[in-house]
Amino acid sequence: MRSSKVLAGALLALAPAAHAQSPQATGNGGGIRWQKTVPVIASGAWAGAKLADGQPDISGFYSNTISNHSNFTDPQAGPPGEPSDVANLPRDQRAPSRVTDPADGQIPYLPTARALQEDFAKNFPEPNKPRYIEPLARCAPAGVPKSYMWHGFEVRQFPNYVVFLFDSGSRIIPLDNRPHLPGAIKLWNGDSRGHWEGNVLVVDVQNQNGKALFGRYGDFISENGRVTERYIFDPKGGGFNYVATFTDPTVYSRPWTATIPVKRYTEADKPDGWHYDVKPANRPGKPLLHERVERVCVENNGPFGGGAVGVPSDQPVIAR
Amino acid sequence: MGQIITKARRLAAATALLAIAFTGVAADAQTGQLPRRTDGHPDFSGIWQTLSEADYDLEPHAGRHDAPPGPGVVEGGVIPYRPEALAQKQRNFAARGKEDPRLKCWVAGTPRGIYYPAPFQIFQRDSDLTLVHQFGHQVRTIFTNGTGHQTETDDGYYLGDSRAKWDGDTLVVDVIGFNEETWLDRAGNYHSDALHVVERWSYVDKDTISYRATIEDPKVFTKPWTIELLLNRRRDKNFQLIEDYCFTLPYEQAYPHKEVK
Repeated sequence: MRSSKVLAGALLALAPAAHAQSPQATGNGGGIRWQKTVPVIASGAWAGAKLADGQPDISGFYSNTISNHSNFTDPQAGPPGEPSDVANLPRDQRAPSRVTDPADGQIPYLPTARALQEDFAKNFPEPNKPRYIEPLARCAPAGVPKSYMWHGFEVRQFPNYVVFLFDSGSRIIPLDNRPHLPGAIKLWNGDSRGHWEGNVLVVDVQNQNGKALFGRYGDFISENGRVTERYIFDPKGGGFNYVATFTDPTVYSRPWTATIPVKRYTEADKPDGWHYDVKPANRPGKPLLHERVERVCVENNGPFGGGAVGVPSDQPVIAR
Repeated sequence: MGQIITKARRLAAATALLAIAFTGVAADAQTGQLPRRTDGHPDFSGIWQTLSEADYDLEPHAGRHDAPPGPGVVEGGVIPYRPEALAQKQRNFAARGKEDPRLKCWVAGTPRGIYYPAPFQIFQRDSDLTLVHQFGHQVRTIFTNGTGHQTETDDGYYLGDSRAKWDGDTLVVDVIGFNEETWLDRAGNYHSDALHVVERWSYVDKDTISYRATIEDPKVFTKPWTIELLLNRRRDKNFQLIEDYCFTLPYEQAYPHKEVK
């Protein structure tokens, strides 16, 4: 496996294997992605370094600390049909649900929306239709919020912008209060507008296409939805909590909130292909510096599952 | 007396500003008016797009069913192919309606992504330039932090490994470490994994970049050759990139969730 290439097919195989690791595993990052708790990071003033335009300087590499997108509400229990080896332990011995409001940890779906989610989860293990394949497995952008619980990612900051570079897709977040795109334009990652409030990057996401799904249980928001993201950065530079409120009256009975804990990776961490896919920069005689390398996905895979689910993989896909 | 002189100076200054604002020429003549970073280097931040026909065919060509006419962007007009490579280029041309990697929405590559007829955005900071191409939303990093090329580039990159230095107000980018998966245009011009590109980026005026690229590939070409084209700043009101992950088009209609029967 080439570290710079995202192998979507292999990821399907890798993810359950990763889940089979012991929660006490001490691999890269000290097994940190199996942490069972979510740190508390208060919103407030930013006392750390700032960039010339006044933004808190939070550029760098990050990855989530509790699990991947296999299971949104029981993050360490594994995907549908493939429970992890900790799935049968008492619930409090695994990381909590990413749903932090309501208190029961469940997404407050309307009945029809719940049926759609459950139908996806039921059919995920043995998909017999294209719609039961998790779109990230076909190299689709992970979208909101899945991008923050899959592989590691890089944040770069520029005057009036924060840019997120994921292994599958990227997000450009303008900070200048310009109007959103027209509502008719629906996108995998939606359309983002952000601003800083102390140590919190607040982002309003609209124009989502509702296709990205949150993961392998088929949790979702529709194209009518809106997400208010709060990236609450640790003033000591350890990472951030991604706290996002999802509003969609056509899917949910009430707005609800998810929390995803994210750790910062630095040159003190060992690179690995999952959380910290970097290479040492070529600069002999100087301190270690890690840098990002090119990401490609569809070029390396083709649309995954093409033959099995009737998705053409060898025809032109555009005529422009 | 002193008060009068001050007013006159103010008037002169105001007149000069008007000249800059309304002619544009004055701005061009004063390199100090070009966007610059605090360190004095040009600031290429912005959204750019070529008006040229380069992506249809780098060489001069009359109009045809799948390409508007274009004067070509190759200095001297002809790409110096080795004989066996020219035969491959001609096979590519004949099969361009099916074989062009662009039709799969794959990464356009370097330099093609620069003159593909869609906008791309440059984000610039001291250590690097980040280029996000709307087509496929591909991301290229041009490092300006003094680092050398990577010594291990696996099987090569679609966009290459880009390391840049400043030559006065020109950004000179050395790009190696390619794979051989990309084409140079829709006419089937191509390269091998021995491709070496040297780009020269410089402002013509505050809204126009001169983009020059010298292309070297001893497996395919008999000698280095150079293209030059202009990149225009997209100044449409509130213009922004709109993600274009066109490789999802074959399957995106499977989502969102459909009604359960």
